[in-house]
Amino acid sequence: MCGLCGVFLTETSWSDASVGSVETGARTRRHERLHRVALANRVLKPFGSRLSDWNGVSYLVSGPTGQTSIVPSVASVWPVVEQLRKVRLDPLDEGLIEALERD
Amino acid sequence: MSSARTLTPVNVLTGFLGSGKTTLLQRLLRSPRLDRTAVLINEFGEVGLDHLLVQRVDDAVVLLESGCICCTIRGDLTGALRGLLDRRDRVEIPAFDRVVIETTGLADPGPILYTLLNEPVLQHHFQLGNVITTVDAVNAALHLSKNPEGMKQVAAADHLLVTKTDLASDEQIAAVRAVLAQVNPSAHVRDAIDEPLDVDGLLDVRPPKSAPAFVPAGDAGATDTLHALRRHSQDISSFSLVLDEPLDWTAFGVWLSLLLHRYGDDVLRVKGILSVQGSAAPVFMNAVQHVVHPPQHLETWSTEDRRSRIVFITRGIDHGRLRRSLEAFCRLRVAELSVSA
Repeated sequence: MCGLCGVFLTETSWSDASVGSVETGARTRRHERLHRVALANRVLKPFGSRLSDWNGVSYLVSGPTGQTSIVPSVASVWPVVEQLRKVRLDPLDEGLIEALERD
Repeated sequence: MSSARTLTPVNVLTGFLGSGKTTLLQRLLRSPRLDRTAVLINEFGEVGLDHLLVQRVDDAVVLLESGCICCTIRGDLTGALRGLLDRRDRVEIPAFDRVVIETTGLADPGPILYTLLNEPVLQHHFQLGNVITTVDAVNAALHLSKNPEGMKQVAAADHLLVTKTDLASDEQIAAVRAVLAQVNPSAHVRDAIDEPLDVDGLLDVRPPKSAPAFVPAGDAGATDTLHALRRHSQDISSFSLVLDEPLDWTAFGVWLSLLLHRYGDDVLRVKGILSVQGSAAPVFMNAVQHVVHPPQHLETWSTEDRRSRIVFITRGIDHGRLRRSLEAFCRLRVAELSVSA
């Protein structure tokens, strides 16, 4: 645990595993992490939420009114957003798919 | 901390009540390969196990915050495995280099796999080996139709052993094999009665050299048994996605994590070989419900075809929409980010 901020240094979740471009040097882990954040934000955009990296070890989920929550992995983001925004995130929702296809 | 080389493999042996798990376990334990194996069993049957390291596991389950039944830490299993480690360290029991867990007939394998992959202590001492599921050829239709856990046991399997083939008709055996191939085309299916038992084949974790083949159920006789099995498994289906372009692993991870968050109870299995951007070697991935194994690099492609192939076993999910969703996520373009060191 980080003595300053109290962050538990948890094991890497499968969803945060680096496969491919990091090993070949095409991306750094930091770069990969920000790429993940950017992709997640494309999904979260219609739901008024935003994800950001937090010290390279966790993620910060923010709502439009300043509500925030720290989560350890991208897999942990979705239930927190649903709780903060009272929405239901569904990757098979026709509206979401169409929105992503338009992007 | 243990290195990957010292992790003790754990095999999960599951299957419905009376489907021959204990008989198979006895045959496995007769192999010299399992001389140094600890066995954890949920219920002692009438068939005694003459083995030095047999311990009973009770059924305490600790539900995590998510409330999902497959994402539970099995407190009983954690205690039993930690106990084995402690007793091995204190030399109270013979050293063991493998653990076999025989589940109850009604067990959902999800929490067991989740515990092995996620419990903070266990993940540093054990690694998940193959999941072996026994299926009774005589009573498969009854077992699979009456109990949802039966289908989960089939979907979670790396190896499916069809038992009691000496008591079943050819028509029953063909029907069972056809349905197993339909429900879980990524598993190896074999008759348990075959001699000698291929112990190495069952125990060795061998990521497939090529992508798991999708085997549609053939017309193995339009029999009553087959109709009954298909009727009961009709909402569970498997399908294979072939993707021409190499995947952005990060986008795939974002998509899969959201899919499993929303539909983990209905995505019984995801298994495949991926062609990933930035990697010449293929990546093997494997998930059972919400439980995802760490992705694994394979040494090389074994065929000229280097496209991603993923088998999904799902319940009530529209295949076409799932494919569109995956492709939409993987085609997302985000600005390349400038990152200072």
